[in-house]
Amino acid sequence: MSDEAIRAEGLAKSFKKTAALRGIDLTVGAGTVLAMLGRNGAGKTTAVRILTTLIRPDAGSATVAGIDVLRYPQRVRARIGVTGQGPTVDELLTGRQNLAIIGRMFHLPPRLAERRAGQMLEQFGLADAAGRLVRTYSGGMRRRLDLAASMIAAPPVLFLDEPTTGLDPVSRSQIWQAIREMVSEAGTSVLLTSQYLEEAETLADQVTVISDGVVAASGTPGELRESVGQAAIRVVLRGGEPAAAARLAGLLGPQARLDGRVATVPAPDGLGSLGAAIAAIQPMSAQIEDVSLQRPSLEEAFTILTSATQPGQSRPELTLAGA
Amino acid sequence: MTATMLSPSMAGAELAALPEPASLAQGFCQALRDIQTMTVRYVLRAARQPDLIIGSVLMPVIFVVLFGYVFGSAIHVPGGHYRTYLLSGLFAQTTLFSASSVAVAVATDMSEGVIDRFRTMPIARSAVLLGRTIATLITGLPSLGVMIGCALLVGWRPDAGLASAVAGFAMLALFGFSMSWIGALLGMIARSPQSADALSMLPAFLLGFVSNVFVPIGGLPAWLRVFAEWNPLSAVVAAARQMFGTPQAATGGSWPLQHPVPVTIGMGVLLLALLIPVTVRRYSRPVA
Repeated sequence: MSDEAIRAEGLAKSFKKTAALRGIDLTVGAGTVLAMLGRNGAGKTTAVRILTTLIRPDAGSATVAGIDVLRYPQRVRARIGVTGQGPTVDELLTGRQNLAIIGRMFHLPPRLAERRAGQMLEQFGLADAAGRLVRTYSGGMRRRLDLAASMIAAPPVLFLDEPTTGLDPVSRSQIWQAIREMVSEAGTSVLLTSQYLEEAETLADQVTVISDGVVAASGTPGELRESVGQAAIRVVLRGGEPAAAARLAGLLGPQARLDGRVATVPAPDGLGSLGAAIAAIQPMSAQIEDVSLQRPSLEEAFTILTSATQPGQSRPELTLAGA
Repeated sequence: MTATMLSPSMAGAELAALPEPASLAQGFCQALRDIQTMTVRYVLRAARQPDLIIGSVLMPVIFVVLFGYVFGSAIHVPGGHYRTYLLSGLFAQTTLFSASSVAVAVATDMSEGVIDRFRTMPIARSAVLLGRTIATLITGLPSLGVMIGCALLVGWRPDAGLASAVAGFAMLALFGFSMSWIGALLGMIARSPQSADALSMLPAFLLGFVSNVFVPIGGLPAWLRVFAEWNPLSAVVAAARQMFGTPQAATGGSWPLQHPVPVTIGMGVLLLALLIPVTVRRYSRPVA
């Protein structure tokens, strides 16, 4: 027995002549959330389909909840919940019927399936719509029902393939809340794929960036940000007079870089550097419009990491100055 | 695995304590429950599509009126009343149409995301297709009832007795069930609901009309007569007429037409024995 909810080694899969995955390793610790980021076609969905027993890899091995996915797919199926990209709820049934039937298929006894259906509807804010046909649900409601269906048997491992793609911000934060509750209350382990960096930032303990079928980077969201550059202080002048800009650069020190009325200087100590810089530019405070501490965003990290392995593209310069 | 990882939310120990099937027998019972759940799902869905139900109920009524009174006014069968002759044939012919309705339904299912969900769940591999075909059988009952009502109204009678008539309907149900598995296989092969419709309607029309359903085979041109005599549906129709005590008019000389009841039952059993494993295997085959 290990503390790993998911472990994949060297997964590779080609469709006809196109290599979707070229050997990826993944680990999801028990009770943690891993976000798999990547552009369209990077191989995220293929990895999820292999781990959820839908397709077999050409090479590599994987365990989910400690069980070999290739040898015992049916045992794995009893321990996972899956929400794919497409809707899987039945429009011709009510929300409650949908969940109760999924619960029965997870082999919950009938009364427990009914009760769990009620609980999940409550938890996902669908109690009022429980008796309505899903045909009348909004996109966000269907998505929530889909998630509720994956969670009805409280599986130890949850796979969510782009759970909030195409949703409005309110529906998105409702779904995030539900995922956080599953993790904190039930200790569920989650592998989610996403194109939204904010989603990874909000939910994930670990992030793996997939690009062109290989793992381009992995670590905590903070580690990924730091891997592509350090924080910088950005000072904006009110006017664009070259003399004032030169004076500002002088005050900020030799590392300062000028670009019109914007000066940038590295901030190795974060807020400490910011305090020092503010003190240094105090004499010019009347001419200064804005001072800010800029951290590299996960978005920049993503852009850099996913373009690094694209053939024919060179790795962009890892600096934030003037960015 | 850590303790926290296994402790599920809310329903607590109840969920964690759910046993896995220990023996083959338990696994079999669980498979039966999966099939039951899936059947319930499809029947519930069908109940929400009254337009489809009305369509399937109206179809036989239209057939009775169209063929019984419009064409029937010009057709005479020796040895009996045409509408009685026709009705027994129509009961048999409707079994064919379960094939195309299942084909379209299965192709539609396969094109929807829900099948991927089912494939990631611990349900018996056969449950989706068995649930679909059994539900089709069940939801066909109302239209069968309407058709029997119509038949009685226009003068059809089960002249071989009630028991024989019930046995006759059971035989047709078995054959119809085997036809719905042909539909399930076509639905798995077809790339879209539209192509499933096209694939299944052509044979259904060919078998349904070049047969003894509407007219006695004896009057057909020789080359068509051979086809009609060996058309499996002709044997089913002859079997239905035998069980319902309807005069056969001139039966063809082919071997299936001379032993229609065992041939019909044999075909049904054989088709199911072949088609269920083949189709379920196709369903459980990992995609790509």
